[in-house]
Amino acid sequence: MIALLKEASDRLLGRGEAAITVPPMDGPLKPNHIIDNAEVVAELDDGNDLASDGETLWIAEGRHLLRLEPGGEKELVSAFPEVLTALARLPAGGIAAAIAGKEVVVIGKSSWASSRRSVGGKALGCVTALSACRDGGMLATDSSADTGPNEYARDLLSHGKSGRICRLTPDGNGDRELVAGLRYPFGAYEVANELWFSESWNHRVAKIERNGAMPHISSVIDRLPAYPSRMSPAAGGGMWLTCFTARRRLVEFVLREDRYRRMMMQEVDPRFWVAPMLSSGQSFLEPLQGGNVKTLGISKPWAPPRSYGLVVRLGPDGLPKYSLHSRADGHHHGIVSAVEANGYLYLLSKGAGLLLRVDLAGLTERDTA
Amino acid sequence: MSDYVLELRNATKRYGGVSAVEDVSIGLRRGEVHALLGENGAGKSTLTKIMAGVVRPSSGSLYVEGQLVEPRTPHEALQMGVAMVFQETSLVPTMTVAQNLFLGHEKVFNRLRRINIAAQQFLQSLNFDVDPVQTASQLGAAKKQMVEIARAVLLNAKVIIFDEPTATLTPEEKKHFFDLVGTLKKRGVGVVFISHALEEALAVSDWITILRDGKHVVTDQTVKFDRASIVKAMVGRDLSQTLYGQRKKQTRRAGRRVLSVQDLRMSSMVKSTSFSVFAGQITGVFGLVGAGRTETFKIVAGLLKRDFFHGGEVFLHDRPVRYLVPAPAVRDGIAYVTEDRKVEGFFETMSIGRNIYMGVLARFGKGRVLTKLSEERELGKSWVSNLAVRAVSAGMRVIELSGGNQQKVVIAKSLAQEPQIIIFDEPTRGVDVGAISEIHEIINRLADARKAVVVISSYLPEIMTVSDRILVCRQGRVVEEFAANEATEDLIMYAAVH
Repeated sequence: MIALLKEASDRLLGRGEAAITVPPMDGPLKPNHIIDNAEVVAELDDGNDLASDGETLWIAEGRHLLRLEPGGEKELVSAFPEVLTALARLPAGGIAAAIAGKEVVVIGKSSWASSRRSVGGKALGCVTALSACRDGGMLATDSSADTGPNEYARDLLSHGKSGRICRLTPDGNGDRELVAGLRYPFGAYEVANELWFSESWNHRVAKIERNGAMPHISSVIDRLPAYPSRMSPAAGGGMWLTCFTARRRLVEFVLREDRYRRMMMQEVDPRFWVAPMLSSGQSFLEPLQGGNVKTLGISKPWAPPRSYGLVVRLGPDGLPKYSLHSRADGHHHGIVSAVEANGYLYLLSKGAGLLLRVDLAGLTERDTA
Repeated sequence: MSDYVLELRNATKRYGGVSAVEDVSIGLRRGEVHALLGENGAGKSTLTKIMAGVVRPSSGSLYVEGQLVEPRTPHEALQMGVAMVFQETSLVPTMTVAQNLFLGHEKVFNRLRRINIAAQQFLQSLNFDVDPVQTASQLGAAKKQMVEIARAVLLNAKVIIFDEPTATLTPEEKKHFFDLVGTLKKRGVGVVFISHALEEALAVSDWITILRDGKHVVTDQTVKFDRASIVKAMVGRDLSQTLYGQRKKQTRRAGRRVLSVQDLRMSSMVKSTSFSVFAGQITGVFGLVGAGRTETFKIVAGLLKRDFFHGGEVFLHDRPVRYLVPAPAVRDGIAYVTEDRKVEGFFETMSIGRNIYMGVLARFGKGRVLTKLSEERELGKSWVSNLAVRAVSAGMRVIELSGGNQQKVVIAKSLAQEPQIIIFDEPTRGVDVGAISEIHEIINRLADARKAVVVISSYLPEIMTVSDRILVCRQGRVVEEFAANEATEDLIMYAAVH
């Protein structure tokens, strides 16, 4: 009874659970302009993911698997019938790719059996990230059972929690679902004896530990001020974590307003929903939060962003060391993949449709600070 | 006629065989400000108390305008023209300014209106903007000091002694106070000025005398001193580099986020402020007066309440918390070391050990009926040794300690609670340079032990020396963040002002 009264008073006063706030970007997440100042390597019409073996960079662009040549030219490696939604380079050779989020295939590696369309008796529907395991297997994040890879906003606004992480083995016999009921897992990576994954709608990186038969999930970093997505290893230990956009209070508010949200999803063009976006500033119909309004045509860098570019360098302990940003007034937004190759950190800005790179030598000082 | 309005020759004061002041001579000219500097325990207060008739010297002589005098009480000293303004003002809080001014000098029949008019005219003649009909309790620290000064001048004081007059004043009030000192100088009053703020002494005084361990070290014109030479004379070694000279080359890496404040609001003092505090780091918080720094952290520690409606959120270890009183915050591992140690920091008549024990009981004493005297003694002994509190024993009363050692007791009281986050609000205010160095060392040790440490300070060099990261507050919110190795005084000040 007391709990009910407290909840009612909190809702009335906008306190406690009913408070709408967003964690600040400070400390290791202090904003800068590194992503905006990054070198543009190539334009990508429909880039979805990157993969690297430390030297060669592969790009999933639309239906094509491309390789980046040293001169910056894109060379076609393979073409597929549908859009590639995820890529991973396997340590034993070969490239794993997810086709339209529904099928996982491996090319250039004969030890992998046929392609996979289902795991644990359930069809794959939204594979957004793949990563190799040390035992020769692979991790796949099937982000949602209800929506496709391009409908992430619908999944968020529907309070989706149908994501799962699957483990795939070369022969297919050991394929299994590791954990289900996740809120849009968008990246997974094997770290020592643990499995780390990002959960976008819960704004966290979590890890799975096995205690007996039941997997135990605990947070590595919680309450991020952004929507985390893919992870890739960083030289010197730790990882690169991309965040495809930053959180803002308007979206948090709409997520609590069921009736408004339902009407918006029924009546408004998805491009103009109050939802996290990969890019912004293309139409006057885009909904803005108060502080985002331009003054004399200039957008404030600290404004609540509709889209944002963020990559976080995580240390081996999972704690953020520093971060790279493209702020509200920047253009290189919607970073969905970051991988190291040839002394550079390559970034895929899906929002801007660009492949960017940052010299890792320039980040050494931050790395050692 | 003597050059000096007040002169003390070969003054010695012994307490039970221990010399508090030994063979010190000092002279004060008319219309000049003489700063008396030294570490806590150097003998400054004893020396001024001899001048003001509070204590009698064991040997030596005091001359006022060339005449040998032996004041036995402050009242006698005042009759001779020597007044002392103490840190804690002696005004009667329930009386008006006018009544306080004429207290003890009333006539048989007093007309309130006449007293008020006389007080107003007198205050105006000193250019003091104080309402004579306002009660003393309603006055700010600076205005209280103005009334104290006015009272001294009203009684024709030729010498006014100020003991740490600026310790509790805001920067605006300090400026006002220095203007007052200027007015007194013009009227030919000699001023003795004790302060731990060396910049103030350099700015306001004409002469400086430095004492160390009760002995006279040097007296010279202020223009011949700089900060480093004063510090060296005060402590007998070069501390200025250790204190504020060294910038951090390597900052500590942020650990886990311990505290996250999101859109916190409290009336007009705190306005939608958001920031985080990380383990293993010293987060310095700088801002001008009224920037809402103290209020923000008092809300975090449960000492103040945030807005009833939409007051924002505070997360401790990623768990939302809303403290209405400090006790649950202390139990959750938040320690707040107050800026006003004399009022909020300790029980002055209790022993060091008991004060620290009170801190322990606040965190771990829930449901306890009996307390152990032996536990209290052990605790006091260990903390006195840990923090190098200079006291005869842990049984010594806190009021008997110097400012720096009192501050160490306040810190010990908080550290005994085994906190996860320690908030130091102006940790070195009114503390001598030797103790400042030791307190900074304690703060650094805490951060090295991976505790989350917050240091709120109005003194920019302190913020820059001690912090790993610096938050700048302006008008109730955090407006800028700097890594210590990228911050400059100009950048921080610009953020604090613009």
